[in-house]
Amino acid sequence: MSVIWAIIRKDFQMEFRTKDSVTAMWIFSLLIFVIFNFTFEVSRLLMLQISPGLLWVAFIFSGMLGLNRSFQVEKENGNLRSLALTPADPGLIYFGKFFSTTLFTLIFEALIFPLFIIFYDIHLSLLTLWIIPIAILGTIGFTSLGTILSAVAIHTKQQQILLSLLLWPMITPIIIWSVKTTGDVLAGDLSTAFQPVIIRMIVFDVIFTTISYLLFEYVVQE
Amino acid sequence: MIEQVPAVITAEKLRKEFGRVVALRGVSFQVPASTFFTIFGRNGAGKSTLLSIISGMAAASSGVIRVFGEDPAARTQRHRLSVISHESFLYDNLTALENLEFYGKLYSVQDLKERTHHVLRQVGLHHRRFDLVRTFSRGMLQRLTIARAILHNPDLFLLDEPFTGLDQHATEMLIGLLETLKAQGKTILLTTHDLHIGLRLSDQYMILERQQVVETGSASGLTEDALREKYFSLISSGEAGQ
Ligand SMILES: Nc1ncnc2c1ncn2[C@@H]1O[C@H](COP(=O)(O)OP(=O)(O)OP(=O)(O)O)[C@@H](O)[C@H]1O
Ligand SMILES: [Mg+2]
Repeated sequence: MSVIWAIIRKDFQMEFRTKDSVTAMWIFSLLIFVIFNFTFEVSRLLMLQISPGLLWVAFIFSGMLGLNRSFQVEKENGNLRSLALTPADPGLIYFGKFFSTTLFTLIFEALIFPLFIIFYDIHLSLLTLWIIPIAILGTIGFTSLGTILSAVAIHTKQQQILLSLLLWPMITPIIIWSVKTTGDVLAGDLSTAFQPVIIRMIVFDVIFTTISYLLFEYVVQE
Repeated sequence: MIEQVPAVITAEKLRKEFGRVVALRGVSFQVPASTFFTIFGRNGAGKSTLLSIISGMAAASSGVIRVFGEDPAARTQRHRLSVISHESFLYDNLTALENLEFYGKLYSVQDLKERTHHVLRQVGLHHRRFDLVRTFSRGMLQRLTIARAILHNPDLFLLDEPFTGLDQHATEMLIGLLETLKAQGKTILLTTHDLHIGLRLSDQYMILERQQVVETGSASGLTEDALREKYFSLISSGEAGQ
């Protein structure tokens, strides 16, 4: 347990010293929202249909940024190798990196969401709170896989390419489900498919987190 | 019967293949406790591969490796060893103290607070403990790297060409530290292609050439010239690779 905390603590200590990624994330989200808000004169109905997708584009961007930050620091001075050389259980190292990346991404997302509400004139209701579990489930799906694939990518030269090549196809389902459920919530009307999709998201997260946890030991070896 | 001092490292017929590339072809040797053991060899001789297997980072394709009597892959002896390479293993955006505290937790170091202050004083960085590592000079970085490596008080040090990129001053400092560790009875395994430094520190040495052991011996009484002559007669001309 102390290993997981030590890693999360360390990542946050470092992140609060360099706030450039937060700035980049804000500017990017702002751009997406501005472009799609003012460039297209579309009806409110159509906007409601595309806005969940836009929100998730911004969320995924935050996630990519979070992953990148999280593993850049483990790469610079051979740190991932040195972590693997400690007596700490590789599974705990995985969870440390996974949690810290997830927390970062969720914080980024929480900063983006108010922007989104303002730009798209979203009507808030109690139902809107559903966005929180949906964001958490969608983000975990992304970061659980992203964490292990980033570790794989450290050992290869063209890491960014490999990362996106492997990551995108695998996370497609959870992204689609996230956009769908977000759409329901924003429309203020949960369809009959809502609940089964949420359950599918939970199952996806549990499966991929478990697999990544079990495989991490082999990934950090040479 | 006289009980024999068990070797800290025992390697028997270690072989390592990366696909069709052979990185080690049947390497056997022993490193007794409290010995400074140097492995000489050219680029591609297999030094780093050997060290990864000893540290448990890589598995041998065949052969037997024992460190403190156990298979390093079992990870039970991790707290007793420390690896130093030309990479610092430090986090640039943490302070010196935060770096040590972090690694101390991963090694479950007892009385971590006192221990971090102790090693920081030992390497002369105590007054800079609240400064970010990215503001450190090369020499200070080197000292903190050493502080990190001795933090959990290991018995065995694995050093893979640690002198790479160091200036005269930093080199002397590292040599001084290695001499201190040696005097403390630590077991040290060093790889280098610098015959001068290697010989100066070693009790025993081994020459790797074309992924094989071509010579082992005691370093005492051996002059640098004799070693140099031996080394260049053993390593044949051309590429060491394949
Ligand atoms: N991950 C790897 N994949 C493929 N081949 C490898 C790998 N690691 C090492 N080798 C090969 O194994 C051989 C021994 O390499 P090794 O890095 O152990 O040599 P070395 O003695 O440390 O050399 P150097 O002085 O350049 O560090 C070389 O031919 C090298 O190309
Ligand atoms: Mg090497």
